[in-house]
Amino acid sequence: MARWNTWTHGTPRRAVLGGAAAAAAGFALAGCGSDDDGGDEPKGRKKGEKITLTFWSWVPGIDKPVALWNSKNPEVRVKVEKVSAVDGAQYAKMHAAIKAGNPPDLGQIEYPVVPSFLIDNGLLDLTKYGVADHKDKFIGWQWQQSVFGKAVYAVPQASGPMGLFIRQDLFDKWGIEPPTTWDEYEAAATAIRKKGAWIETFSATNGNRFAGLAWQAGARWFGTEGDTWTVSIDDEPTRKVADYWYGLVRRKLIKTIPDRQNAWYKDVQTGDMASWLGASWGDALLVGNAPKTAGKWRVVPMPQWKKGEAAYANWGGSTTAVFAKSEYPKDALAFAIWLNTDPESIKLLIENGYGTPGAKQGYTTSQLDVHKDFFGGQEYSEVFDEASKGVDTSWKWGPATDTLYQRLGDAFTAAIGDGSDFRSVLKKVQSQTITDLKEKGLQVKAG
Amino acid sequence: MRGAPRRLTRTEARSARAASGFLLPFLALFLLCFIAPIGYALYESLLKVERTGPLGLGGETKQVWAGLSNYAHALEDDRFTAGFGRVLLFGAVQIPVMIAFATGLALLLDAASARWVGFFRTAFFLPYGVPGVIASILWGFLYVPGISPLVEMAHSVGWNVDFLGRGAVLWSIANIVTWQFTGYNMLVLIAQLKAVPGELYEAARIDGASAWQVARHIKLPLIRPALVLTTVFSLIGTLQLFAEPKVLKPLSNSIDSGYTPNLAAYNEAFTSNNQHIAAAEAVLLALVACVLSFGFLRLVGQRGKDGESG
Repeated sequence: MARWNTWTHGTPRRAVLGGAAAAAAGFALAGCGSDDDGGDEPKGRKKGEKITLTFWSWVPGIDKPVALWNSKNPEVRVKVEKVSAVDGAQYAKMHAAIKAGNPPDLGQIEYPVVPSFLIDNGLLDLTKYGVADHKDKFIGWQWQQSVFGKAVYAVPQASGPMGLFIRQDLFDKWGIEPPTTWDEYEAAATAIRKKGAWIETFSATNGNRFAGLAWQAGARWFGTEGDTWTVSIDDEPTRKVADYWYGLVRRKLIKTIPDRQNAWYKDVQTGDMASWLGASWGDALLVGNAPKTAGKWRVVPMPQWKKGEAAYANWGGSTTAVFAKSEYPKDALAFAIWLNTDPESIKLLIENGYGTPGAKQGYTTSQLDVHKDFFGGQEYSEVFDEASKGVDTSWKWGPATDTLYQRLGDAFTAAIGDGSDFRSVLKKVQSQTITDLKEKGLQVKAG
Repeated sequence: MRGAPRRLTRTEARSARAASGFLLPFLALFLLCFIAPIGYALYESLLKVERTGPLGLGGETKQVWAGLSNYAHALEDDRFTAGFGRVLLFGAVQIPVMIAFATGLALLLDAASARWVGFFRTAFFLPYGVPGVIASILWGFLYVPGISPLVEMAHSVGWNVDFLGRGAVLWSIANIVTWQFTGYNMLVLIAQLKAVPGELYEAARIDGASAWQVARHIKLPLIRPALVLTTVFSLIGTLQLFAEPKVLKPLSNSIDSGYTPNLAAYNEAFTSNNQHIAAAEAVLLALVACVLSFGFLRLVGQRGKDGESG
């Protein structure tokens, strides 16, 4: 996810150049007639040999734990290369590098995107290198996100359990209680609208968050039956969610501007938008972009479908993965484990805004309240910690999530434009996704 | 012209060698940077990926012959075809407007009474020096509600405008493109105007032609080749629209991933990782650009001849 407000987004020129370079490299390969199947064994490091591993990441401040690693491990140096996280540019780069045969050793990959690298045989199955020994150090459901069959393809870093950020001062001024159910949320939206402000926006292009909303409602968009992928985007829970948000949009109780873009930041700064259904990593985003609203925000749990329930969902979060081409998989894995479990490393990651750790130990929840003052002294990480425990762990991502987000974005864009209901979106995206997976040469059926 | 074959004299042979020596670097680069990528795109567009193994994970990935199935897929995708319709509509409106602007400016700067010609020529040309991405970011600031002074002003006079809305965003892009390229086209037209021999104007003046008549009956017919050239360039540029919609996409909820054919091909290649379909889309785009440019050239060529004979 693009977490930071960047107007320098897209950098299409660079992306295109990268693509051109990749195409040229691919051509060279084709010209030599070498059909790369990645069958050759990695070199591995000889004792005492000095090596450098490259690591593509976009996380701000990731260079600090890496510097710490380098000071402790002079033989296995890690070099961070920053990649742009805007609009999926980092994955475009990684896919192109895999195709060209020169990916880095390690990469920062979000949970939803892990499978799309697997069907390109881009990631290394870490079980061969003893990753299973470290399983207990991580939160179960985060670990499971990268497990396919018996193989483990990535080391969890952090997740983004969802919660509701609200402007407590405005809610108090207007005499509105923070909503605990979706019915109350709708009532709050109506009340806030009467005061001339808005509760939120429904961003057509944010497929990521919509997936989280469906996840909370009990949807299972992807699954497997034997060797076949199942797709069930147009299922009952998702329809319930779609109908709900369509109702808010149709009755103009909610904006439809894109989120986390300039107009949105402006609304957050001015209080024209009084809440944000975000995720645990959103604290840094608000602090960074609306510093003048410090002290006025609070975090409350995500509204529930039934009063008293505790169903939550996840939005974002990422892993450290080792690419299949790495020549030093053992060392790369050792670094990935250290980065995400070592208490000193975790401390540095937390200081730079990180989300909810994938590791079970090595930190305290209170340590995560980095921006306590911004939230009026609230120990807000407890809300996310609670949410993390309530995330339904059986949710699986499909093998082409980037395409899925794009399909959802296109369909919601069209629906908001011509006023058609959101069920039509689900129907369309369901059939498109089945076609997309077939085009990728996979076996697939409707779930 | 062609006589009996004869052996080249020594000087001729040397100059032929020299010529090929000079041509070689060009040809090598032309082959490497132009012909080879096109050939590679064609080749890629005829392949597809086949995956084996459970769920397609961890198995063999093979490239197999696909025939024209990628082309069929591209043409069946309504997102891709809608993008074509959109850029054609865009071109039908934006190109005439821009060329008319450019011609008007060129004629004004070429008029005898024009002052500060150098300054205005540079000023009008300046936007062309701004890269498309930067121009789109700058205009983006002027389009976003809540930030843009233009939107604010419009609202204050009761005009509820949304530059990034569904109906407006295509024309907001047209505005960026017009802003960027009018000056460039103007310069091409001015260059051609400078090549008009002064005697023609003199003769026209002696015949009592007004400035308007000179422009209408002498200047416009004589810059026709430049007008054709700028139109063809604009046509190709329009079909390849990419940077503007790509930069504005995150700001607007009215631009989808296949808003223009080029954007569709980009997303197919880099978001969905389907290089083969993207290659087919790129080839189709090139074909349409060829057909339209040559079609236009033929059309104006024919009319040019009719004009001369009539």
